Amino acid sequence: MSTTENTPETQAGICPLTRRRFMKGLLAAGVLANLPCGLLRPTRTEAGEIVYAGDYEIFRNACPRNCYDTCSIKTYVKDGVVQFIEGATESTFTRGGLCVKGYGYTRRPYSPDRIKYPMVQEGRGTGNWRRVSWDEAMDRIAKKILQIQEKDGNLLGLALSKYSGNFGITNYGIEGMMSSLGYTTRLTGTPCWPAGIDAQNFDMGDMWCNDPEDMVHARYVILWGGNAAWNSVHSVKYVYEAKRRGAKIVVIDPIMTQMAAKADEYWQIRTSTDGALALGMARHILDNKLYDRDWVMANSVGFEEFASYLRENVTVEWAAKESGVPATNIIEMAEEFATAKPATIWIGYGLQRHVNGGAAVRAIDALVAMTGNVGKVGGGARYGHLRTWGFNYHALLQKQPEGAKGVPGKAEVKGDFHFAGGNDAAAVSYSDRILNINKTAQVILDANDPPIRMLWVACKNPFSQDFDRNKMVKAFEKLEMVVTVDQFFNETVNMSDIVLPVTTLFEEWTINASYWHYWLSINERAIQPMYETKSDIQIAATLSKKMNALKPGSCTFPTEIDSKEWMTKEFNQGIYDLFGIKSWEDLKKGPAKAKMPSAAWHDLKFGTPSGKYEFKSELAAEWGNKALPEYVAPREKTDKYRVLTPHTKFGLHSQFINLDWSEEFNPKPFVYVHPQLAAEKNIKDGDTVRVFNSIGEVKTTAKLSTVVPSDAILMYEAWFRNNPYNVQNVVDDTSSDMGAYKTGQPGVAIHDQFADLAKV
Amino acid sequence: MNDIEAIRDFFLAGDAGKLKRSYQQLSGSFEATPPVVEDWQEVEFAFNRLFVGPAALEAPPFSSVYLDAQGLVMGQTTMAVRQMYAALGLESPWKNSLPDDHISLELDAALAMNHVLKKLGHSEIQELHARFMNHMTRWVPLFADRVLTAPSRHPAINHVVLCLSDWLDKQTCGLKNYQSAREEKV
Repeated sequence: MSTTENTPETQAGICPLTRRRFMKGLLAAGVLANLPCGLLRPTRTEAGEIVYAGDYEIFRNACPRNCYDTCSIKTYVKDGVVQFIEGATESTFTRGGLCVKGYGYTRRPYSPDRIKYPMVQEGRGTGNWRRVSWDEAMDRIAKKILQIQEKDGNLLGLALSKYSGNFGITNYGIEGMMSSLGYTTRLTGTPCWPAGIDAQNFDMGDMWCNDPEDMVHARYVILWGGNAAWNSVHSVKYVYEAKRRGAKIVVIDPIMTQMAAKADEYWQIRTSTDGALALGMARHILDNKLYDRDWVMANSVGFEEFASYLRENVTVEWAAKESGVPATNIIEMAEEFATAKPATIWIGYGLQRHVNGGAAVRAIDALVAMTGNVGKVGGGARYGHLRTWGFNYHALLQKQPEGAKGVPGKAEVKGDFHFAGGNDAAAVSYSDRILNINKTAQVILDANDPPIRMLWVACKNPFSQDFDRNKMVKAFEKLEMVVTVDQFFNETVNMSDIVLPVTTLFEEWTINASYWHYWLSINERAIQPMYETKSDIQIAATLSKKMNALKPGSCTFPTEIDSKEWMTKEFNQGIYDLFGIKSWEDLKKGPAKAKMPSAAWHDLKFGTPSGKYEFKSELAAEWGNKALPEYVAPREKTDKYRVLTPHTKFGLHSQFINLDWSEEFNPKPFVYVHPQLAAEKNIKDGDTVRVFNSIGEVKTTAKLSTVVPSDAILMYEAWFRNNPYNVQNVVDDTSSDMGAYKTGQPGVAIHDQFADLAKV
Repeated sequence: MNDIEAIRDFFLAGDAGKLKRSYQQLSGSFEATPPVVEDWQEVEFAFNRLFVGPAALEAPPFSSVYLDAQGLVMGQTTMAVRQMYAALGLESPWKNSLPDDHISLELDAALAMNHVLKKLGHSEIQELHARFMNHMTRWVPLFADRVLTAPSRHPAINHVVLCLSDWLDKQTCGLKNYQSAREEKV
C-alpha cells in the first residue's frame, strides 16, 4: 500500500476513510458476519486499497482494425481498469504515438452504450429487446441451425458475413466455427482492395510493398489516390523525412486531401483516369529513352509489346485531355520521376475502386518498373503485402462434422486473407457455397437452392459498409434469422433477431500483423471482459457446446477453449525465424519487426509464371483482362454528378465515429459541394440537401468546399450513432475490373457512382 | 424483504418475471400508489431501452455517467465507490465486469451501511454513511430525471424511481440531522 498526493479523496471527494482502521472496528464488533446486503460480499484480499498514481500493470495490445498502421499499443491498467494507452515506443513505425482514433480506444470498453448481454429482439427493427442468457441465445441459434440441416439436408442456408472489423488472427475462428458446423454459404472477396491485388499479382506475382520506413530513401514520391495524412498518419513521417532529404512529394487525387495540402505538388486528376495519366507519363519516358533499359531487359517480359501499345495508342496530349493534368506538367513529372533514383509511387486503395481500377494499378506498376524502381530500397510500387501473415490459422482450420453435405465438388475459398488452403484436398467431396461479399444484398435475394435462411454477422456492419443499402433491406426481409456479434448498436444490430456482445481488444488474446509495415504485435488480455462479453472464438466454443448437447457430433469446434492458448497455437517456427524471436513470449517485451530486406522483390525473382516482371500478362488475359496494362475507359455516367465516398478523418469505415471523442470533432455528417456547383443548384453553406439517384438518397447538410472537384459530390463514408446518414444509399454494387483471381471476387466500383443534388 | 431490497432487485432484473416479482415486493410504504401493470413484457422492453441495451441507454444506471466529466464507467467515481465498499470490507461479486457504481450495488451498500450504523453508531461509520449518501444525492436525482423524461419511460418504472427518490430523501433528511449535529459539535 502506498499513498500519493493524488488521493482518492481529492479525486472524487467522497471517501475519506482508510480501510484498515475502519475494518478493525467492524471486525471487533462482529458486524460483518450478518450483513443484510444480497449482492456485495466480503473482500477476499487484505490489500484492497486503491492507489491512484504509478504502479500500473502494462499490457501489450495492437489496433486490430483495417488500417495500414496496425499500431502497437501499450495499455496501462490499474485495479483491473484500463487507465490510458499509448503507442509502443519499441516499434519504430508506431514510435510511441497513436492516431486520433486510436487514442479513443479507452472509450470502447467503458462506454455505457456498449452492447453488454446477449439479447433477442421481438420483431426486427422494433427495438423490443429481451435480455437472455448465453445458454438461451445459443439454444435458439443451435436449434435454428439444426432445423436448417433437417430441412435442406445441408447447411448452405447458413451464411457468414464477416470482414475487417477485427483482423486478429484468432478472429478467423469465426470462419472456423462455420466450417465446424458443416458446409455453409460464405460471402467472400473484399470490398477494399481486390482490383489492385490482382493487378500486382499479374505484374509481379504477388502484392508486396517495400517497408514504408525505407521511403526516407526515395528521391521522388508520388502518393497516388490515397490520403495518408488521414489514413496512415504514421507513414507521413517517412514522407516528410524523404522531403527533408531532398525528395519531391507529389500527390495525385481527385480530392485536394490533407495529404495533397502537405505535398510539393498536387494534381487534381479527373476521377478514374489515373491509367491515362500513368500511360501518358510512360509514353514520354519511352520516347525520351528515360526508361531503365538494362533493368527492363534483364527483369521483365513483354516490354516491347507494351512500348508498341504506348506508341500506337497513347500520347501525352491524349493523357492530358483524359486526366485534366496539363501536358507540360505530365512531361515534367515524367522526367522528374524517371530521373530521380530511387523514385516510388504509393498506390492508394481509392484509385482502384473503379471499373478500370485494376488496369490503372497495372499502368502505374509499369511506370515504376520501366524506370527500374522495382526491387530498390526507397523505390517500389507500394500497395500492400501479406508477407508477415504466415500463421498456422489454427482457429480458422476446422473440420466439417462427419457426413456434412454441401456443394458437390471442391471449390477453393479465396480471399485477401485466406492463406491456408482449407480442407485436406483428398477428403473433400463437398464445398461451401461461395458468393460475392460485394453483392451481399443481391446474392441473398438470388440464392434459392437452398435460400439463405440464416445470416451470422461478425466483424462487420453490412448496413453501413455493403453496397446498395435499400436492396439490403429487402435482402434481410428474406432471412429467417440474423445473428449479429458486435460492440455497439447499429443499423445491422437493429435489423437482427439476436445480438451477441463481443470483447474489445483489451479483453481478448490475439495476434496482429500489418498489410503495410513489417511489425508484429501480440494482443494481451489486459482486463477481464466487461459484462457478459465473449471473444469470437469463445462464442464459437459456446455454440459448439450447445450444438453437441442438442445433437452430439453436430459441431466439431472445441467446446472449451483457452483463448491465450489458442493465440499461442497460431505461431510456428517460420514466424519465429522471420521475426527473430524464440517464442511468442518475446513479444510481451514489445513488437518485433520481420527480418526482411526493406525492398520488395529485392532479389528480382518475381512470382509470375515467367519469374519476371510481366508488362504482358497472359494470366491477366485468362482472367478476362487485357494482357497489357492498357487503358480501360471509366464507367459511363449514370447520373449528373460523380459521388465520392472516401474515408473520413475521425473514423475507419463504420468504426470510431460513434465514440464520444470523435463526436466532439465530427458531430454530424456533411455533403461537400464545390461553390460553383452549389451556385448552379442555388445551395448555400448549411442548407439541407438531398443527394439522390435511382437506388436511393442521402439527406444532410451541405458544406461548400473547393477541395472537391466541381462536378462531384463528396460524402465521407461513416456510421453515426445518432444519424441515419448512410452513403450506401447511393452507392450501387457495380464490380470493379479485377479481384476475382486472388480474392475470389471482383471488387466494387465504389468511386464510380453518380447522383443528382437538390436543395430540400 | 424491505423496499430498498425490492428496488435493488428491480434494477438488476434480467426479465419480465423478475421485474414483476421485485415490483410486487414494494410494500407500499411509499406515498405514491403503484400503477397496475397489465403487460410486463412492455415493461421489460422499456426497462432494456432505459438501462440495459443493446441500443444506447436512455438512462444509464451507473453513477459515474452522471458524475464523471468523461461520462464513462469504471472511472474515478466507480473507483471511489469501490473504495467505499472496501471500507466496509465488501466488494462486488462482479468486480471489473459490472461497474461497481451500478444503482443496485449502491443500494446494496446502503443497506449494509444502515445495518452497521444500527449495530455500531460510532463516528466513522456515520461519516462513511454520510459521505455515501452525499454521493447518491449527487447523482440519483439526475438519474431519476433521465428516467422520468426518457422517450421509453413507463409508469411502472417511473414509480420505482419515485420510490427510490423518496427513500433517498428520507435518508438525506437523517443525513442533514447528522451533519448539523456534527457541525454543532465542531
